[in-house]
Amino acid sequence: MIRAIARKELVQYWRDGRVVTVFGIVALLGLAATVTGWSAVSAMERERASAVAMDREIWDTQGLKNPHTAAHFSRYAFQPTFNLAVFDPGLNDYVGNAIWLEAHYRDPAALRPVEDAVEIQRIAQLNPAWVIQVFGPLLIFILLYGAVAAERESGTLRQLLAAGMRPVSLLLGKAVSAFSLTGLLVFGVLLGSAFLMSAEGIERLPDTGLRTAALAALYLVYLAIFVFLALGVSALSSRSRTALAGLMGIWIVATILGPRIGPDVAGALAPAPSAPEFAARLDREGADPFWGAGEEAVQRRQRVMDAALAEYGVETVEELPINYDGYLLQASEEFANGVFDTMYAELWGGYERQHAIARGFALVSPTIAAQNVSMALAGTGLHAYRHFADQAEEFRREFVLLLNQEMIDHGGADGYAYVSGNDFWRQNPDFEYAAPGIGEAVRGVWADVIILLLWLAIAIAVAALGVRRGFLGEVAA
Amino acid sequence: MRAIRKHERRALLGDRLQVLLLGLFALICLSASLRGAQYREALEEAAAAFEAEHLERAADWRERVVAVESGDVAPEDDVFAGLAMDVARPAVAAPGPLADFSRGVTDVHPFTARVALWRSVDRLFGNYQFQSPNEIRAGKLDLAFAVLFVMPLLMIALTFGALSRDRDSGRLGLLLSHPVSVRAMVRSKLLVRLGAVFAILVAALLAGLFIGAGGVPDGGRLGRFAFWCLAASGYFAFWAGAIYWFVSLNRKSETTAMLMIGFWVLNGLVGPAVLAAAAQLVHPAPSQLAFLSTARQVSNEAYRSRADVMQGMLLDHPELTVENYTIPEYIRVSYLVNETVDRAVEPVLEEFEAVQDRRRSFLGLVQYAAPAALAMRSMGEISGTDLARQVRFEGEVRDYKRAIARHVEARVLAGERLTVAEVDAVPTYTFRESGLGAVGRSVVFPVGYLFGLGLLGAALARRNLARLQTRFREA
Repeated sequence: MIRAIARKELVQYWRDGRVVTVFGIVALLGLAATVTGWSAVSAMERERASAVAMDREIWDTQGLKNPHTAAHFSRYAFQPTFNLAVFDPGLNDYVGNAIWLEAHYRDPAALRPVEDAVEIQRIAQLNPAWVIQVFGPLLIFILLYGAVAAERESGTLRQLLAAGMRPVSLLLGKAVSAFSLTGLLVFGVLLGSAFLMSAEGIERLPDTGLRTAALAALYLVYLAIFVFLALGVSALSSRSRTALAGLMGIWIVATILGPRIGPDVAGALAPAPSAPEFAARLDREGADPFWGAGEEAVQRRQRVMDAALAEYGVETVEELPINYDGYLLQASEEFANGVFDTMYAELWGGYERQHAIARGFALVSPTIAAQNVSMALAGTGLHAYRHFADQAEEFRREFVLLLNQEMIDHGGADGYAYVSGNDFWRQNPDFEYAAPGIGEAVRGVWADVIILLLWLAIAIAVAALGVRRGFLGEVAA
Repeated sequence: MRAIRKHERRALLGDRLQVLLLGLFALICLSASLRGAQYREALEEAAAAFEAEHLERAADWRERVVAVESGDVAPEDDVFAGLAMDVARPAVAAPGPLADFSRGVTDVHPFTARVALWRSVDRLFGNYQFQSPNEIRAGKLDLAFAVLFVMPLLMIALTFGALSRDRDSGRLGLLLSHPVSVRAMVRSKLLVRLGAVFAILVAALLAGLFIGAGGVPDGGRLGRFAFWCLAASGYFAFWAGAIYWFVSLNRKSETTAMLMIGFWVLNGLVGPAVLAAAAQLVHPAPSQLAFLSTARQVSNEAYRSRADVMQGMLLDHPELTVENYTIPEYIRVSYLVNETVDRAVEPVLEEFEAVQDRRRSFLGLVQYAAPAALAMRSMGEISGTDLARQVRFEGEVRDYKRAIARHVEARVLAGERLTVAEVDAVPTYTFRESGLGAVGRSVVFPVGYLFGLGLLGAALARRNLARLQTRFREA
C-alpha cells in the first residue's frame, strides 16, 4: 500500500508543473554549485602547490644569511583545500590560506578569500551543501504542504479512510515519495561532488569514503526532519493554505533567520576581542616583558644569562662555548611561546564560546546543527582550521629552534655576523600537514548530532500527533 | 473605500498572528539598530585607541629627537634617536557614517595600519585576521538585512491572501456583485497592510538614526540617512509593486504564496549568489598565493644581491656616500630591500584593484537582474561600508607610505638622523569620506530603478484587476 501511494504521489509530482519547475531549478543550482566548488578547489590547490614549491625554492637559495635573520624571513605553512570542500567549503573562505612562520610572533592565517570576494557574496554563497541545506527543506515543504490538508479539503481523505486506508500507510507513502525525490537531489549532488573531487591535483582528506557516507546519512536525517515536520503540520492544519503558511514560517526561521541570528547573538553575548587590540597585545605581551627596558625585562634577561653561565659552568658570557645571542633569542622564543599559548587559548576559547551559544539556536533551527556537522565531516569547520593552525605553530617553534640552535652551536663569537649557506637551508624540513581522521573531526560536533536526532524525534512526534488528531478526527467525523 | 480600509485595519489588528509578525519585525529592527550602534561604537573605539597609541609612540619618539637636538642627551648616548627608518605613523579609516545600518565588508577588512618603512607594502596592514570565522560566515543582523530580507517576508505574509482568500472562499463574486471596484478593494487592503509595515520601517530607521548617533545626529549622518531612507523606500516600493502584481494574478492562496516566496528566493538568494559567482568567474582575482610568493622572491633576491642594490643606490645618489656611517648597515639594506619589494608588487596590487573595478562595473550592469543585490550595494555605498571605499583606503595607505619614504629617504640612505623640523613635517594621513553629492549620483539610478519596478508592478496589477472586474461583470 505504501509503495502504491508513493508511486501515485510521484506521478502526481511529475504532472504538476510547479513541482517539476522547482525541482529543476534546485537541481540546476546543485549542479552549478558543484561545478563552481570543484573549479574553486582545483584552482586553490594548483595555486597552493605552486606556492609550496616556490617557498621551498626561495628558502633553499637565500644564500649567506644569519640563521636568526632567516628565521625572521622564515617560511609559510599553506593550508590544503581538501577534496570534500568541493561539497561543503564551510569556513574555507573565511580563514586564511597561509600562516607565516616567523620568529618571535605567532601570526594568524592570512590571505582570506572572502577579502577578495564581492560584497553580495555575503548574502549567499553558491555551494552544494548550501543548496541542500536551504532548498532541500523548501522543496519538501512545497511537495508536502498539501499532503493531508489538501486531501481533507477535497474530501478524499474521508473517502480513503472509509475505504480502510491506514493513516500511517498514507503518511508513510507520502513521506517516501517526497523523501525519494529530495534524496535523489542529495545523492545527485554528493555523487557529482565525489566524481569531481576525485580529479587529479586535489588532496584527499583521510577517511574520505567514510566521511562521504556520513555526509549522505547526515543529509538524509536532515531532510527526514523536514519531511516529518511537513506531514505533521499538514495533518494538523485544517487547510492547505494554513499548512503552507506555517511551513514557510518554519523554513524561514530554520534556514534563513536562525543561521544568521544565532551567531550574531553569540557575538553579542561573547564578543571576540577586537582585531587591532588583540594584535597589539600579542606584539606587546610577547616582546616587551623580555626585550623591553623595564626592570622586569632586565631581570628576566639576567636570569637567562645566569642560567646559561650555570649550565656551562663558566663565569662570563665570553667564556661560554656557545653563541650567547642565539641562546638569548631562543630563551625569548620560549618566553613568547607561553604568552602565545595563553592568548590564543583565550582567542580560541572565545570562538568556542560563541560557537556553543550559536549551537543553542539549533534548537529552533536544525540547519545550524546540520551545518556544523557537515563542515566537520568535510574538514572545513572551526576544528579543522584550529588543527591546521596548531600544527603550523608546532612546526614554527621547531623550525625557529632549529635555526637558533644553528646560531648557538656554530655562531661562536661572530654572533649576528655568523652566516649559514644554502647547504644548511636545503637540509631544513618542510611543513607537512596531516589532517585529522573522522573520529577526531567529529569529536566537537556530537552535541549537534544529538540535536539533529532530537529534531528527528520531535518531527516524528509531530507527524504522529498529526495522525492522531488530524486523521482520527476525520474518522470520528 | 473608507469602510473597507476601516474593516481591514480592524481585521489586521484583530489577527493575533499578523500583529505578532509585525511586532517581531519591529523587534528585529530594534535589535539590529542596537547591535549596529554597539558595533559602530566598537569600531570607533578600536580606531581611536589605535590612533592614540601610535600617535603617543610617535610623540615619545619625537621627544628623543628633541632631547638630542637641544643637547640634553649626547648623540652617542642615543644613536637611534631620530633614525629616519623608524618613522611610523597610524593610518585609520574611521567607520562609515552609517556603519551601524549596514556593516558591509567592515568585518573582514583592516581599517587601521601602522605605516612604517620597516614593512613592505604587502605587510602594511599587519595582522588583523583575528575575527571569529563563524561570525563572519554567518553575516550580521543589521538594518540592511532586516530591510532586504525580513521586510519582504513580512509583506508577503500579510498580503498573500489579499484577494485569493475571498476567491478561495467564493466570496469574491459576491463582493464584486456590489458596486465596488476590485482595484480599489485590493488597493485598500494592501494600503492598510503594507502601510503598517512601512510605518514600522520608518520608525525603525529613525530609531536607528538616533540610537547609532547616541543622540542628535550630525549633518553628514543626516544626509546619508536621507539617501538610506530613499534606498529602503525604493526597495519597499519594488516589493509593494511586485506583491500588488502577484495578488492581481488572482490565483489560489497557496499558489500566490508560493509564487511570492519563489520570487523572494530568486531575488534574495539565488540572484545574488549567481551574480557573485558570475562576477568572480568573469573577472577572476589574481592569485593571492602567487602575490605572496612574488613578494618573497623579490625580497629574497634583493637581500641576496644587497651589495649590488647598495651600489646602484650610490651610483644614483653619489651625494649620499657617507664616510663615517655610524648607523648599522642592515638598516639601509632593509630600506632598499623593502623599496624593491614595493616596486615589484605594485603591478600586482594594481591588478587586484583593477579586478575589483572591473567586477564593480560588471555588477553595476547585472545587478538590475537581482534587486536585492542592487539595494544591498546601494545601502553599502551610502553607509560607507562598501568594498570600493575599502579598496580606496588600502590604496591611499600605500600612497601614504610612499609619501613618508620620499620625505625621509635621503636621511635613511645617508644614515643621518632627522631633525625636529623634519619630524614635524612628516606627512599625516586623514581618510576622507566620499561627498554626499558623489554618493547621491552613484545611487540615484539604481534606487530610481527600484521605484520604477514598483510602479511597473502596480501598473500591470491595475491592468490585471481591470480585466478581472470586466470578466466578473460580463459573467
